[in-house]
Amino acid sequence: MKELVAQLLSNGISRRDFVRRLVASGVTVTAAKSILESVDTFAQTPGAPAPAEAVKMFQGNGGEAFAEQLIASGVKYVFGNSASEDAEFYEALVNRPQLQYVLTPHEGPGAAMAAGYVKASGQPAVVMTAGSVGLMNALGQMFNAWKEQTPLVFYAYRTEDSRAAGRDGFEELPGQEQVTSTMTKLTWGARRPEMIPETVRRAFKVAWTPPYGPAYITWNSDYTGEKFQSEIIRHDQVDPRMRVRPNPTEVERAAKLLVDARRPLLIVGDEVYRAKAFDKVVQLAELLALPVTQARSVHVSFPQQHPLWVGSIPGGRVESLTYPTDVDLVINIGGKLQPNSPAPLVSRKTMFIDMRNDSASVGSVMRTDAPLVADVAYGTEDLLAAVNQLLTPAIKARIAQRADEVHAFSAKARQLRALVSRNPLWDASPMEADRVTYEVAQWADKDAIVVHEAGSVEVSHSFEFDPRGGRELFFYYGAHLGSGVGTAAGVALARPRKQVICLMGDGSFLFGPTALWNMARLQLPVTVIVYNNHAYGGPHNRAISNLGGTGRSIDASKFVHDYLGKPDIDMSAIAKGFGVDGERAKNPAELKAALSRARRNAANGKPYLIDVEVARHGPGWSEDPWVPTVSRA
Amino acid sequence: MLLFRPLALSACLFLVGIASTEGAGPQQAAATAPDSPGGPGREIVQRKCAQCHAATMWTALRQDRRAWESTLYRMVGRGALWTPEEISAMADYLTQIRGPAK
Repeated sequence: MKELVAQLLSNGISRRDFVRRLVASGVTVTAAKSILESVDTFAQTPGAPAPAEAVKMFQGNGGEAFAEQLIASGVKYVFGNSASEDAEFYEALVNRPQLQYVLTPHEGPGAAMAAGYVKASGQPAVVMTAGSVGLMNALGQMFNAWKEQTPLVFYAYRTEDSRAAGRDGFEELPGQEQVTSTMTKLTWGARRPEMIPETVRRAFKVAWTPPYGPAYITWNSDYTGEKFQSEIIRHDQVDPRMRVRPNPTEVERAAKLLVDARRPLLIVGDEVYRAKAFDKVVQLAELLALPVTQARSVHVSFPQQHPLWVGSIPGGRVESLTYPTDVDLVINIGGKLQPNSPAPLVSRKTMFIDMRNDSASVGSVMRTDAPLVADVAYGTEDLLAAVNQLLTPAIKARIAQRADEVHAFSAKARQLRALVSRNPLWDASPMEADRVTYEVAQWADKDAIVVHEAGSVEVSHSFEFDPRGGRELFFYYGAHLGSGVGTAAGVALARPRKQVICLMGDGSFLFGPTALWNMARLQLPVTVIVYNNHAYGGPHNRAISNLGGTGRSIDASKFVHDYLGKPDIDMSAIAKGFGVDGERAKNPAELKAALSRARRNAANGKPYLIDVEVARHGPGWSEDPWVPTVSRA
Repeated sequence: MLLFRPLALSACLFLVGIASTEGAGPQQAAATAPDSPGGPGREIVQRKCAQCHAATMWTALRQDRRAWESTLYRMVGRGALWTPEEISAMADYLTQIRGPAK
């Protein structure tokens, strides 16, 4: 229970989950609610004395202190790769079974696994790499964590001023922390051995204080073996529990804008997912009959089968939506709204309400009429109350009319999305990528988790996600490729009762397959689908477009940068090398049979990989693509 | 490492589709194909495709009607909300202006 309380206080779990887990552990519902009230009271009492077990003195070496503080910070899993300098830490784990070490054979997919675990569980984790050289392999996933605002803590020892070093020796990198400082919320080094626990605490506190993000900590490799006395402090004692409510004046202004708007639009984003604010956001959308959309995000944060869902923004600007047109007000709740174009996603002429906890980015690109810097659960709650105050019978009648219009569009859009199966090549071999997605969606559980790193593959024609207990999406927003397999392994570790499906492009798969071995070793029954067109299809098409649809490459049908065949790469053979069974599928019948085998494997706790041959599309491809020769002279 | 950049761009376009106008302004997006002879599908192509695409994404493509129809249904898979009638008209037009090389 202590652990659950710590998780609740650090916002690692929702209040509802807290009660549910207590009940699952045998506590009655009444008792669970009573405990919840007690915790609330404790959390809100200024100066409440720290429980004795929350702060303790520890005596031992640096490796042991590191392990003790990780445990006190709520960490269950260390995702690491072997380093002789961390020997004392490994020693410390032998009699601390509550802290489990997941050996990852490459730090990139290893860090992706850690990030997947953090995102899917809401629990802390640490990535542990072998000094500067291991850290370099993890940097790609640190970049992803930075872009995706994942509260992941990275550690790597440093040797540059250890007693044995300082002369450009083995693995030494002057200013090692400089490589992480631009993509972490905190890069910090322990200056003395006894500062190791404090440094660890600081990292978890900063990473988990909204807006979330990665932190990097380091200390001299010498410190891990040194003996000292230091405090070990439980996370809830240092967590600022920063969930802020929005400025009430701005809430009133936003409510007035929303009520007055004739053609409003609601954009939702990842902060809604992280705050588990789905129900409140749905309530607000329904209260005002707001059509709902989403821009590029990690998760889907609104039920896509809901009659107010109008589909994702297809072209980087609100105007690219088929509906609604002539939008006069946009409210964004929790979306990063990644700017990928000189034209802002929301036009300067459109009224804009921005609700996020990431105050630094509010107003950075978009002009904002009502900035609501807030935890989006609190912010939506306050907005609901304010809007309710303003509703009159006449306004309600107008909203009801809008609801009919949005519902009619939404129903029509669902019908039109289903037309994807009318593709005249629907039954062809090699398969259409959309057919593969369709078959996987038909086969998947109703509450499956889909980890998506499949290039330009779009899945919304066949998957409708619903974060309130339906299917969930983990998309590769960060876009340092090679994260998908690791992410899926981490998600499966965090959500053992859910089916986890990993959709990979052949290119992205090749950047990071090593977590397959973790799936096999830890019996994580992920089904991996590789869309294999033996090419970097997206770069192929966009390179031609960037050249104005013409050029020497297309005239000669010679492309140096995008064909991965000759020889074709067999992904199922790669999987077998890591201990994961799999097969190739070239047509719909083979795919369906392979999916059945994947389900049987999953039932036995085994992962499975299906390498599906999909068609290459776009200008300039020939049946027998040209391959550049490279002279060895 | 250079491979990451084009791939990263590819990833950026998940919600945008394979042939996005990201980086292109509205005027470029609204550009029409060269040598357009007109036809019932022309207006639909200009209006519908320009929502997300620069014309340069498809002017390099020459293929028969079945392949054009398949391309258009793939755009449905990427979020385009078109009726079968609109798709048929667009396939006719695109075959007319960008059919197989003779």
